[in-house]
Amino acid sequence: MIFLFAPAALFLILVFVLPLIRYCWISVHALSVITNLEMIPNYGANWIRLYNDQRFWQDSFQTIRFTVTSVSLEILFAIAIALLLDQRWRGRGVVRALTILPWALPTTVMALGWRWIFNTPHGPIEQIISLLGFESINILSNPNIAWIATVIGDVWKTTPFIALILLAGLQSIPNDLYEAFRLEGGSSRQALFNITIPLLKQYLLIGILFRTAQAFGVFDLIQIMTGGGPASSTESLALYAYLNAMRFLDFGYSATIMLGSFILLVFSCLLAWLIFNQIKKIQL
Amino acid sequence: MKRLHFYIIILLTWSMLPFIWQLYTSFCSQEALISPLRTIDNRWTLDNYLRIINADPPFWKYLLNSLVVGTSATLITLIISIPAAYSLTRLKSAFAKSMQLLLLAAALFPYVLLFLALLELARNLNLGNNLLALSIPYSALSTPLAVLLLSSAFRDIPKDLEEAAILDGLNTWQRLKWVLIPLITPSSASTAILVFVFSWNEYPIALTWISRSELITLPVAISRIAGSSVYSVPYGTYAAASVLGSIPLLLIVLIFQKQIISGLTQGAIKG
Repeated sequence: MIFLFAPAALFLILVFVLPLIRYCWISVHALSVITNLEMIPNYGANWIRLYNDQRFWQDSFQTIRFTVTSVSLEILFAIAIALLLDQRWRGRGVVRALTILPWALPTTVMALGWRWIFNTPHGPIEQIISLLGFESINILSNPNIAWIATVIGDVWKTTPFIALILLAGLQSIPNDLYEAFRLEGGSSRQALFNITIPLLKQYLLIGILFRTAQAFGVFDLIQIMTGGGPASSTESLALYAYLNAMRFLDFGYSATIMLGSFILLVFSCLLAWLIFNQIKKIQL
Repeated sequence: MKRLHFYIIILLTWSMLPFIWQLYTSFCSQEALISPLRTIDNRWTLDNYLRIINADPPFWKYLLNSLVVGTSATLITLIISIPAAYSLTRLKSAFAKSMQLLLLAAALFPYVLLFLALLELARNLNLGNNLLALSIPYSALSTPLAVLLLSSAFRDIPKDLEEAAILDGLNTWQRLKWVLIPLITPSSASTAILVFVFSWNEYPIALTWISRSELITLPVAISRIAGSSVYSVPYGTYAAASVLGSIPLLLIVLIFQKQIISGLTQGAIKG
């Protein structure tokens, strides 16, 4: 039996295990154009640099802020969309297909579209704002709020993914449960919080897990929509690692950033899980 | 009933308005672009479309490239994952459980972080600028999710069926070929579509593995139009490219809606 698994195992070792080992190895070496692309051991200098690198910490903060905001908004919208798509109405199939579309299309297809929509002064949002006589918000040039535009782009694209998972969850809840609850005199809002959400817990967890990991590695959207700017305020960790490798040609440090991001992700997930468990205890 | 319609309209507006704006932009002339809401004489034009169709290489080449990569990645993934998924359901449960956790971790892994090591791999094995080679990382990255989805399908097949086949004297290979694989066709189909969509859309690896402009895939081609000049992005051309580039996936979503949904759904039930 095990030989049937061997090709898959080989594949997984090739793209997951070897790269991580390789990163560990590169990250304790200097490897850049300055060293003529030769590996020279530098005994942890990359890690000390990472620790003192303000841009790394700023990008970590930005990546976490982006992830938490996007995933929370996506969950809220996805619950609403799933509840809507769970009801019976004519044309539901078509609407459902149209709803998946943003998720199915390449990120690059709409990333620049969003830049155009938020463009100052020619984009539709700025045009409407100026027609209404308000002052320009200039969202993509303002380092304090530009990241919100990237969140909008991400929420628009990935909410359908969670919505479909939640929809599957909703359809697994038997209708009898709701009828029994109604007979006992419960309102529909109470049903939402007492039946629907608790029974959806498993589906919510899966959605949150997948989306958190993906949002943490956000790259395409940021690279094309803002290029990390203005003043690197929207730069994600993946983009920073990419810039170090492909623009500054410093592969040693790039590998260190990626390992550092990975450690940060595992650490944040553990922390979130501990907090989650703590909250559950308090409720009991 | 009225409120329901109201919500449906909001949902459709939210999902479709950015596309409609792209569509509108793609037919706008250069002068019309900078004053989108005012009425001007020569607003409508097909120039944007003509420009990308007549470009060198022509636009359909990118679609073809993406189709080649997507198809080969999907086939490789299925060939690798179906036996692996089957073996997972027949192995001792403790081992299978830990294997499943590892697969889940791999499926969740933000793969962008792997791009540098994969790029080194491409350089060392001389796999750069090769469309078929690009499908190796794609299928390898899709394998964890594919194995998870397919093994749950294998588990749903009643044990009796396979035992009957063993009594009939079929070996493992024949059982897979004649009995088991036909039974998991729906799951294979939805897995295939998810892998295809992933490969069609993948950006960071395609960006770093392929540099020759006649070999780039659709997402990279679209982003190149965007990056062709730093100061004035040719939004009209870009919009036209993204409209044309969306059509194949639009068709896939409309035709295979059921398979996509059931693929995602199985993923959720598994966890």
